[in-house]
Amino acid sequence: MQATETAPETDVRTDEELVGLVVGGEVDCFEELIIRYQPRVFGMARKYFRNESDVEDVVQTIFTKTFQKLGSYRGTAPFEHWFMRLSVNTCYDALRRRRNRPEHTISDMLFEDENWQNRLGNIPSDDNPEGLEQARELVHTVLDQVSDRARIVLTLQELEGRSIREIAGITGWSESLVKVQAFRARKEMRTAVERFLMKEKRL
Amino acid sequence: MKANETEQQFLKLAKTVPTDERVPGGFAARMMARVREQHSLETGSADERFLRFARNLPANERVPYAFEKRIMARLRELLTPDPLTHWSRMLWRAVAPCLGVMLLAVLFSAGEPTDTSPIQTAGELESTDFETVMLASFDDLELTW
Repeated sequence: MQATETAPETDVRTDEELVGLVVGGEVDCFEELIIRYQPRVFGMARKYFRNESDVEDVVQTIFTKTFQKLGSYRGTAPFEHWFMRLSVNTCYDALRRRRNRPEHTISDMLFEDENWQNRLGNIPSDDNPEGLEQARELVHTVLDQVSDRARIVLTLQELEGRSIREIAGITGWSESLVKVQAFRARKEMRTAVERFLMKEKRL
Repeated sequence: MKANETEQQFLKLAKTVPTDERVPGGFAARMMARVREQHSLETGSADERFLRFARNLPANERVPYAFEKRIMARLRELLTPDPLTHWSRMLWRAVAPCLGVMLLAVLFSAGEPTDTSPIQTAGELESTDFETVMLASFDDLELTW
Protein backbone atom coordinates (compact mmCIF):
# COMPACT_ATOMS: atom_id res chain seq x y z
CA MET A 1 0.00 0.00 0.00
CA GLN A 2 1.48 3.32 -1.03
CA ALA A 3 1.84 6.05 1.50
CA THR A 4 -0.43 8.96 0.66
CA GLU A 5 1.43 12.00 -0.55
CA THR A 6 0.81 15.12 1.45
CA ALA A 7 0.92 18.54 -0.15
CA PRO A 8 3.96 20.53 0.87
CA GLU A 9 3.25 23.13 3.54
CA THR A 10 3.06 26.59 2.03
CA ASP A 11 4.31 29.59 3.92
CA VAL A 12 1.26 31.01 5.64
CA ARG A 13 1.85 34.64 6.50
CA THR A 14 0.66 35.87 9.87
CA ASP A 15 -1.87 38.66 10.15
CA GLU A 16 0.81 41.02 11.42
CA GLU A 17 3.07 40.25 8.46
CA LEU A 18 0.23 40.95 6.05
CA VAL A 19 -0.56 44.22 7.81
CA GLY A 20 3.06 45.25 7.51
CA LEU A 21 3.06 44.51 3.79
CA VAL A 22 -0.16 46.43 3.17
CA VAL A 23 1.07 49.44 5.14
CA GLY A 24 4.33 49.20 3.18
CA GLY A 25 2.41 49.58 -0.08
CA GLU A 26 1.55 46.04 -1.14
CA VAL A 27 -2.18 46.67 -1.19
CA ASP A 28 -3.00 43.31 -2.80
CA CYS A 29 -2.02 41.54 0.40
CA PHE A 30 -5.12 42.99 2.02
CA GLU A 31 -7.21 40.55 -0.01
CA GLU A 32 -5.73 37.68 1.98
CA LEU A 33 -6.84 39.32 5.20
CA ILE A 34 -10.35 39.75 3.80
CA ILE A 35 -10.53 36.09 2.79
CA ARG A 36 -9.30 35.04 6.21
CA TYR A 37 -11.80 37.05 8.22
CA GLN A 38 -14.86 37.47 6.02
CA PRO A 39 -16.73 34.33 7.17
CA ARG A 40 -16.40 35.35 10.78
CA VAL A 41 -17.35 38.96 10.12
CA PHE A 42 -20.41 37.92 8.13
CA GLY A 43 -21.40 35.55 10.93
CA MET A 44 -21.05 38.35 13.45
CA ALA A 45 -22.91 40.93 11.34
CA ARG A 46 -25.81 38.52 10.84
CA LYS A 47 -26.29 38.42 14.60
CA TYR A 48 -27.08 42.13 14.55
CA PHE A 49 -28.84 42.63 11.22
CA ARG A 50 -31.42 40.42 9.60
CA ASN A 51 -31.55 42.17 6.22
CA GLU A 52 -28.87 40.70 3.94
CA SER A 53 -28.15 44.03 2.21
CA ASP A 54 -27.60 45.66 5.64
CA VAL A 55 -25.24 42.83 6.51
CA GLU A 56 -23.24 43.27 3.33
CA ASP A 57 -23.13 47.06 3.77
CA VAL A 58 -21.80 46.85 7.29
CA VAL A 59 -19.22 44.19 6.42
CA GLN A 60 -18.04 46.35 3.52
CA THR A 61 -17.76 49.31 5.91
CA ILE A 62 -15.79 47.20 8.37
CA PHE A 63 -13.20 46.17 5.80
CA THR A 64 -12.97 49.67 4.32
CA LYS A 65 -12.41 51.19 7.76
CA THR A 66 -9.86 48.50 8.57
CA PHE A 67 -7.92 49.32 5.43
CA GLN A 68 -8.03 53.06 6.11
CA LYS A 69 -6.95 52.66 9.75
CA LEU A 70 -4.36 49.96 9.23
CA GLY A 71 -1.61 52.50 9.69
CA SER A 72 -2.79 53.07 13.27
CA TYR A 73 -2.34 49.40 14.25
CA ARG A 74 0.63 49.40 16.59
CA GLY A 75 0.98 45.66 17.16
CA THR A 76 0.63 45.91 20.95
CA ALA A 77 -2.27 43.41 20.81
CA PRO A 78 -2.93 40.66 18.27
CA PHE A 79 -4.39 41.95 15.01
CA GLU A 80 -7.44 39.77 15.54
CA HIS A 81 -8.36 41.66 18.74
CA TRP A 82 -7.85 45.04 17.10
CA PHE A 83 -9.90 43.99 14.08
CA MET A 84 -12.77 42.48 16.09
CA ARG A 85 -12.90 45.61 18.21
CA LEU A 86 -13.23 47.75 15.10
CA SER A 87 -15.86 45.34 13.72
CA VAL A 88 -18.02 45.37 16.83
CA ASN A 89 -17.85 49.15 17.11
CA THR A 90 -18.79 49.52 13.46
CA CYS A 91 -21.80 47.24 14.01
CA TYR A 92 -22.76 49.28 17.05
CA ASP A 93 -22.54 52.53 15.06
CA ALA A 94 -24.66 51.00 12.30
CA LEU A 95 -27.26 49.84 14.84
CA ARG A 96 -27.49 53.35 16.26
CA ARG A 97 -27.90 54.89 12.81
CA ARG A 98 -30.99 52.84 12.14
CA ARG A 99 -33.90 55.24 12.52
CA ASN A 100 -36.89 53.01 12.34
CA ARG A 101 -36.57 50.40 15.00
CA PRO A 102 -37.63 47.75 15.49
CA GLU A 103 -37.95 46.47 11.93
CA HIS A 104 -40.30 43.76 12.98
CA THR A 105 -42.54 43.82 15.98
CA ILE A 106 -43.44 40.79 18.00
CA SER A 107 -46.94 40.89 16.47
CA ASP A 108 -45.32 40.33 13.05
CA MET A 109 -44.07 36.94 14.14
CA LEU A 110 -46.88 34.88 12.71
CA PHE A 111 -46.04 31.27 12.19
CA GLU A 112 -48.64 28.86 11.02
CA ASP A 113 -48.24 26.07 13.47
CA GLU A 114 -45.99 27.04 16.23
CA ASN A 115 -45.96 26.91 19.90
CA TRP A 116 -42.62 28.56 20.30
CA GLN A 117 -42.35 27.56 23.93
CA ASN A 118 -41.72 24.06 22.65
CA ARG A 119 -39.67 25.29 19.71
CA LEU A 120 -37.16 26.89 22.11
CA GLY A 121 -36.22 23.36 23.13
CA ASN A 122 -35.36 22.22 19.61
CA ILE A 123 -32.60 23.63 17.47
CA PRO A 124 -33.28 22.87 13.79
CA SER A 125 -30.62 20.73 12.20
CA ASP A 126 -28.31 21.87 9.41
CA ASP A 127 -30.32 19.97 6.83
CA ASN A 128 -33.38 22.08 7.65
CA PRO A 129 -32.37 25.52 6.30
CA GLU A 130 -35.93 26.83 6.49
CA GLY A 131 -36.18 25.87 10.16
CA LEU A 132 -32.82 27.51 10.86
CA GLU A 133 -33.93 30.68 9.10
CA GLN A 134 -37.12 30.80 11.17
CA ALA A 135 -35.12 30.23 14.34
CA ARG A 136 -32.80 33.12 13.42
CA GLU A 137 -35.82 35.33 12.69
CA LEU A 138 -37.17 34.54 16.15
CA VAL A 139 -33.90 35.53 17.79
CA HIS A 140 -33.71 38.74 15.73
CA THR A 141 -37.28 39.68 16.57
CA VAL A 142 -36.65 39.34 20.30
CA LEU A 143 -33.27 41.10 20.23
CA ASP A 144 -34.67 43.93 18.09
CA GLN A 145 -36.75 44.89 21.13
CA VAL A 146 -33.70 45.70 23.28
CA SER A 147 -31.53 48.81 23.11
CA ASP A 148 -28.40 48.88 20.92
CA ARG A 149 -25.96 48.73 23.83
CA ALA A 150 -27.91 45.92 25.44
CA ARG A 151 -27.86 44.01 22.19
CA ILE A 152 -24.08 44.38 21.83
CA VAL A 153 -23.49 43.21 25.41
CA LEU A 154 -25.97 40.35 25.16
CA THR A 155 -24.47 39.11 21.94
CA LEU A 156 -20.90 39.31 23.17
CA GLN A 157 -21.53 37.97 26.66
CA GLU A 158 -24.38 35.51 26.35
CA LEU A 159 -24.13 34.32 22.77
CA GLU A 160 -20.36 34.44 22.27
CA GLY A 161 -19.43 33.69 25.89
CA ARG A 162 -17.00 36.58 26.34
CA SER A 163 -15.98 37.86 29.76
CA ILE A 164 -16.68 41.36 31.09
CA ARG A 165 -13.02 42.23 30.64
CA GLU A 166 -13.01 41.06 27.02
CA ILE A 167 -16.18 43.03 26.30
CA ALA A 168 -14.65 46.13 27.87
CA GLY A 169 -11.56 45.65 25.71
CA ILE A 170 -13.62 45.22 22.55
CA THR A 171 -16.07 48.07 23.08
CA GLY A 172 -13.74 50.50 24.80
CA TRP A 173 -16.21 50.85 27.68
CA SER A 174 -15.13 50.58 31.29
CA GLU A 175 -15.69 47.25 33.05
CA SER A 176 -18.16 48.83 35.45
CA LEU A 177 -20.17 50.20 32.53
CA VAL A 178 -20.17 46.78 30.89
CA LYS A 179 -21.47 45.20 34.11
CA VAL A 180 -24.26 47.75 34.37
CA GLN A 181 -25.11 47.26 30.69
CA ALA A 182 -25.09 43.48 31.12
CA PHE A 183 -27.56 43.71 34.00
CA ARG A 184 -29.85 46.04 32.04
CA ALA A 185 -29.51 43.90 28.94
CA ARG A 186 -30.74 40.77 30.72
CA LYS A 187 -33.66 42.71 32.13
CA GLU A 188 -34.62 44.12 28.72
CA MET A 189 -34.27 40.73 27.10
CA ARG A 190 -36.40 39.09 29.80
CA THR A 191 -39.17 41.61 29.15
CA ALA A 192 -38.92 41.06 25.41
CA VAL A 193 -39.07 37.27 25.74
CA GLU A 194 -42.01 37.38 28.16
CA ARG A 195 -43.90 39.71 25.86
CA PHE A 196 -43.24 37.38 22.98
CA LEU A 197 -44.41 34.31 24.83
CA MET A 198 -47.49 36.10 26.19
CA LYS A 199 -48.40 37.03 22.63
CA GLU A 200 -47.97 33.37 21.76
CA LYS A 201 -50.42 32.31 24.46
CA ARG A 202 -53.04 34.76 23.22
CA LEU A 203 -52.93 33.39 19.67
CA MET B 1 -42.95 -27.63 3.68
CA LYS B 2 -39.37 -27.30 2.54
CA ALA B 3 -39.54 -23.50 2.97
CA ASN B 4 -40.80 -23.99 6.50
CA GLU B 5 -37.88 -26.26 7.30
CA THR B 6 -35.43 -23.69 5.88
CA GLU B 7 -37.08 -21.07 8.01
CA GLN B 8 -36.78 -23.22 11.10
CA GLN B 9 -33.13 -23.89 10.40
CA PHE B 10 -32.46 -20.19 9.90
CA LEU B 11 -34.15 -19.26 13.14
CA LYS B 12 -32.23 -21.92 15.01
CA LEU B 13 -28.97 -20.58 13.60
CA ALA B 14 -29.94 -16.99 14.39
CA LYS B 15 -30.62 -17.85 18.00
CA THR B 16 -27.16 -19.32 18.45
CA VAL B 17 -25.35 -16.16 17.29
CA PRO B 18 -24.17 -14.34 20.44
CA THR B 19 -25.39 -10.78 20.97
CA ASP B 20 -22.76 -8.15 20.25
CA GLU B 21 -22.95 -5.82 23.24
CA ARG B 22 -19.90 -3.73 22.46
CA VAL B 23 -20.32 -0.03 23.21
CA PRO B 24 -18.33 2.72 21.43
CA GLY B 25 -15.95 4.55 23.74
CA GLY B 26 -17.40 7.58 25.57
CA PHE B 27 -20.92 6.82 24.37
CA ALA B 28 -22.54 7.17 27.79
CA ALA B 29 -20.84 10.53 28.39
CA ARG B 30 -21.97 11.83 24.99
CA MET B 31 -25.52 10.65 25.56
CA MET B 32 -25.69 12.25 29.00
CA ALA B 33 -24.38 15.54 27.63
CA ARG B 34 -27.17 15.52 25.03
CA VAL B 35 -29.77 14.52 27.61
CA ARG B 36 -28.70 17.32 29.96
CA GLU B 37 -28.69 19.82 27.13
CA GLN B 38 -32.15 18.76 26.04
CA HIS B 39 -33.39 18.89 29.64
CA SER B 40 -31.99 22.37 30.16
CA LEU B 41 -33.62 23.56 26.92
CA GLU B 42 -36.98 22.30 28.11
CA THR B 43 -36.76 23.65 31.63
CA GLY B 44 -35.53 26.86 33.18
CA SER B 45 -36.87 30.39 32.83
CA ALA B 46 -38.00 31.70 29.46
CA ASP B 47 -35.05 34.03 29.02
CA GLU B 48 -32.57 31.30 29.94
CA ARG B 49 -34.16 29.00 27.43
CA PHE B 50 -34.13 31.72 24.83
CA LEU B 51 -30.44 32.40 25.42
CA ARG B 52 -29.57 28.73 25.18
CA PHE B 53 -31.59 28.50 22.00
CA ALA B 54 -29.88 31.56 20.52
CA ARG B 55 -26.45 30.39 21.67
CA ASN B 56 -26.82 26.99 20.07
CA LEU B 57 -27.97 28.29 16.71
CA PRO B 58 -25.14 27.77 14.23
CA ALA B 59 -23.66 31.00 12.90
CA ASN B 60 -24.42 31.81 9.30
CA GLU B 61 -20.96 32.49 7.90
CA ARG B 62 -21.89 32.32 4.23
CA VAL B 63 -19.93 34.83 2.16
CA PRO B 64 -21.46 36.29 -1.02
CA TYR B 65 -19.70 35.25 -4.20
CA ALA B 66 -16.52 37.24 -5.04
CA PHE B 67 -17.09 39.56 -2.09
CA GLU B 68 -13.34 40.06 -1.54
CA LYS B 69 -12.90 41.09 -5.19
CA ARG B 70 -15.53 43.78 -4.85
CA ILE B 71 -13.97 45.11 -1.66
CA MET B 72 -10.53 45.24 -3.25
CA ALA B 73 -11.93 47.05 -6.30
CA ARG B 74 -13.55 49.62 -4.03
CA LEU B 75 -10.35 50.10 -2.00
CA ARG B 76 -8.30 50.61 -5.17
CA GLU B 77 -10.81 53.27 -6.23
CA LEU B 78 -10.26 55.05 -2.93
CA LEU B 79 -6.49 54.99 -3.52
CA THR B 80 -6.58 56.45 -7.04
CA PRO B 81 -8.32 59.85 -6.86
CA ASP B 82 -10.33 61.11 -9.81
CA PRO B 83 -8.43 64.04 -11.57
CA LEU B 84 -11.61 66.12 -11.66
CA THR B 85 -12.16 65.63 -7.95
CA HIS B 86 -8.55 66.53 -7.27
CA TRP B 87 -8.79 69.67 -9.40
CA SER B 88 -12.04 70.83 -7.82
CA ARG B 89 -10.58 70.17 -4.38
CA MET B 90 -7.57 72.37 -5.22
CA LEU B 91 -9.88 75.12 -6.51
CA TRP B 92 -11.90 75.06 -3.31
CA ARG B 93 -8.69 75.30 -1.32
CA ALA B 94 -7.71 78.39 -3.35
CA VAL B 95 -10.95 80.19 -2.46
CA ALA B 96 -9.83 81.26 1.03
CA PRO B 97 -6.47 82.76 -0.04
CA CYS B 98 -8.13 84.51 -2.99
CA LEU B 99 -10.71 86.07 -0.69
CA GLY B 100 -7.91 87.15 1.63
CA VAL B 101 -6.00 88.83 -1.21
CA MET B 102 -9.19 90.51 -2.38
CA LEU B 103 -9.86 91.83 1.12
CA LEU B 104 -6.33 93.16 1.41
CA ALA B 105 -6.62 94.88 -1.97
CA VAL B 106 -9.87 96.55 -0.90
CA LEU B 107 -8.36 97.76 2.39
CA PHE B 108 -5.25 99.00 0.64
CA SER B 109 -7.19 100.91 -1.99
CA ALA B 110 -9.48 102.41 0.67
CA GLY B 111 -6.46 103.84 2.53
CA GLU B 112 -5.00 105.70 -0.48
CA PRO B 113 -5.63 109.49 -1.24
CA THR B 114 -8.73 110.10 -3.43
CA ASP B 115 -7.38 112.89 -5.68
CA THR B 116 -6.65 111.18 -8.89
CA SER B 117 -6.69 114.11 -11.31
CA PRO B 118 -3.62 114.25 -13.53
CA ILE B 119 -1.08 117.13 -13.20
CA GLN B 120 -1.72 119.54 -16.08
CA THR B 121 0.77 121.78 -17.93
CA ALA B 122 0.15 125.54 -18.59
CA GLY B 123 -0.76 124.85 -22.24
CA GLU B 124 -3.23 122.15 -21.28
CA LEU B 125 -4.84 124.48 -18.71
CA GLU B 126 -5.38 127.18 -21.39
CA SER B 127 -6.99 124.79 -23.83
CA THR B 128 -9.25 123.47 -21.08
CA ASP B 129 -10.40 127.01 -20.23
CA PHE B 130 -11.05 127.76 -23.92
CA GLU B 131 -13.09 124.59 -24.25
CA THR B 132 -15.09 125.43 -21.18
CA VAL B 133 -15.89 128.91 -22.47
CA MET B 134 -16.84 127.74 -25.97
CA LEU B 135 -19.09 124.98 -24.70
CA ALA B 136 -20.74 127.08 -22.01
CA SER B 137 -23.41 128.33 -24.45
CA PHE B 138 -24.23 124.78 -25.45
CA ASP B 139 -24.63 123.80 -21.82
CA ASP B 140 -27.24 126.56 -21.49
CA LEU B 141 -29.04 125.27 -24.58
CA GLU B 142 -29.32 121.85 -22.95
CA LEU B 143 -30.94 123.38 -19.87
CA THR B 144 -33.56 125.33 -21.89
CA TRP B 145 -34.25 122.42 -24.26
